[in-house]
Amino acid sequence: MIELQQLNKSFGPIKAVDDLTLKVEKSTTVGFLGPNGAGKTTTIKILTNLIGATSGRALLNGVDVVSDPKMALAHVGAVVETPEFYPFLTPVETLSYLGRIRGMSPQDISSRTNEVLQQVKMEQWRSTRIGKFSKGMKQRLAIGQALLHEPDILILDEPTSGLDPRGMVEVRGIINDLKKEHYTIFMSSHLLGEVEETCDKAALIDHGKLLVYDDIDSLGKLTKVMKLEVVGSSAINDSVVGRISALPSVVQVERASQQTLVVTYEGSVESRGDLLKGVQAIGVNVISFSPVGLPLEALYMDLVKESR
Amino acid sequence: MIMMTEELKAQRNVPSDISQLPVVWRYELLKYLRSWRLYASVIIVIAVMALLYLLPPLLGESYSGTDTGTEVLVTPTTTVPGMPDGPYTVYAVGVLNRSQIDVDSLVVYRDGAMYPFADGSNWFLSEVQYGSASVYTIVFLQNVTGSVITASYEWYISPESFETLFLNFASFLIIICATFFGADAIVSEFQNRTGYLVFPNPIKRSVLFLGKFSASVTAGFMVVTIFYAVLAVLSMISARGIDDDFLLSFGYAVEFLIAAMAVAYLISSVLKGSTGATVLTFFLFVMILPIIDSVSAFSGAKIEASLTFSADAMIHILADPYPVDQVVDFGPMILNSYYPDQVLAAVTMAAYALASLVLGMYLFNRKQLAG
Repeated sequence: MIELQQLNKSFGPIKAVDDLTLKVEKSTTVGFLGPNGAGKTTTIKILTNLIGATSGRALLNGVDVVSDPKMALAHVGAVVETPEFYPFLTPVETLSYLGRIRGMSPQDISSRTNEVLQQVKMEQWRSTRIGKFSKGMKQRLAIGQALLHEPDILILDEPTSGLDPRGMVEVRGIINDLKKEHYTIFMSSHLLGEVEETCDKAALIDHGKLLVYDDIDSLGKLTKVMKLEVVGSSAINDSVVGRISALPSVVQVERASQQTLVVTYEGSVESRGDLLKGVQAIGVNVISFSPVGLPLEALYMDLVKESR
Repeated sequence: MIMMTEELKAQRNVPSDISQLPVVWRYELLKYLRSWRLYASVIIVIAVMALLYLLPPLLGESYSGTDTGTEVLVTPTTTVPGMPDGPYTVYAVGVLNRSQIDVDSLVVYRDGAMYPFADGSNWFLSEVQYGSASVYTIVFLQNVTGSVITASYEWYISPESFETLFLNFASFLIIICATFFGADAIVSEFQNRTGYLVFPNPIKRSVLFLGKFSASVTAGFMVVTIFYAVLAVLSMISARGIDDDFLLSFGYAVEFLIAAMAVAYLISSVLKGSTGATVLTFFLFVMILPIIDSVSAFSGAKIEASLTFSADAMIHILADPYPVDQVVDFGPMILNSYYPDQVLAAVTMAAYALASLVLGMYLFNRKQLAG
């Protein structure tokens, strides 16, 4: 379990993390979202003993990482940013080094090394010095080292950063596999689709403050502004577009094609039916009426805009 | 995926600091064993030692040779400094102008004819102390006034002179080791981002610091040991022996290595860039501290607290007896020659090592990977 209690971190006059309180229950996967400079990486750095906190507590399995980092990190695997490896070591040697530091026996290290290298598809380069690796290979190895000792908690900072599309799919697959093994995973990401695909819950922060924290499904319903794609059976003329724009709760109407409009709409998910009725009442024979983009994205944009 | 059993996971405790220390040491040392820096240091050792060994003979100053028919300047006297009165009468002494001679090869001639030792009834050879130098002296027990005394003998350089020639390079070698193996050891974890891999592990920063430091010292120790081992072999060949205080000199060298490395680690914990840390470490030892030492001698204020001044004990320790401070008045100018006190030098270097390690570790603990 991860618990942040009134966590604060200031860099001079800048408050990077502002009274952040958050609880990640055991065996859940939580996405940590926010724009650049929101305080995501700072929070993760505090959790992984890379920087200290100005005040507050960051508990990993009940142990405060600020006051007792060694004990707190005993059962934690972490990938923060894209770490660099010692170029003179091979993946096998690197995993052996980290395994020994984590107190694993030589037998455990040997068997787990084979497993994680297979898992992150790095077996082929097991004895090649890391100095020659690409960023994507290093990122995969970074995930591998985080899994080596089968930690209870995984902390991942943008785990698919630097990977090609295939690598991103593979990493998401690994995370989904780990979810089934009941790891507690806390991951930051810029990719909202990735969070929706892999996480049970998401926390949104901006300016170091927690904006919202809930289940992914519940979050999607929270959004006030959403985009709906309206497709008519025939071309929709400009006067009709003007009338749709004048409907209650419609913020903006964009034309995607002769028959298709994208309507930006402010209101609850439930009241979406009123909009459909309004459009039909204007005389459009609607053949398709569906949300555009991800619910989380809409919420993200909504909340971040509000907080700025 | 094969999973570790819950029992095995439960058994896996957080390792102790003591057990983590050799792990860090081992993998850090591997870094040096696989890096160009260690090999560069060894190549520097070999190149400089070859140069020092070959250059004097090439310039006409051999380490050994044979003097044939060399005239001995005889001084009539009845006493020999440092030699107690014995059951003999001294008539004169003659000095052989070489630091070491092969006593068995010595043949003395009087007016061109062999002048035998005759069981010590004609003359005997003695090492006599004149000030801080000891010289071979023929003590004549017969009146040789008016005779021309010549001698033939094999000579060779003394271990002290031979080793001193090389040891002037030892402190520079240690500075190179501190720069190569210590200057960027800490700062590179931040600048090269390897800290992102290592710090989020159940290991104290102080253990990382000490593990890395001991690996750096080990790498430096290997280089210094090679230097002293090669010097010992060369000394055996050229000076037919090793100075009595050779091992003490090695001890001072290792102590200076530890102190210099600790200072390098302190600098590495303070600065934010590898280049700055490397340049500052190197120039601190080759320029800044030696300037302080020179000013000390010029101004007449002996600064025992200088690390490089104390390190000179590794050279002076070979001198027999150990040199004492001298003040030479040249009229308009007074020249001071200061030598570090043997005990104080050891204490000073230990103090530098300890203070730098404690402060460096404190700063490393507080340093944040915020970039």
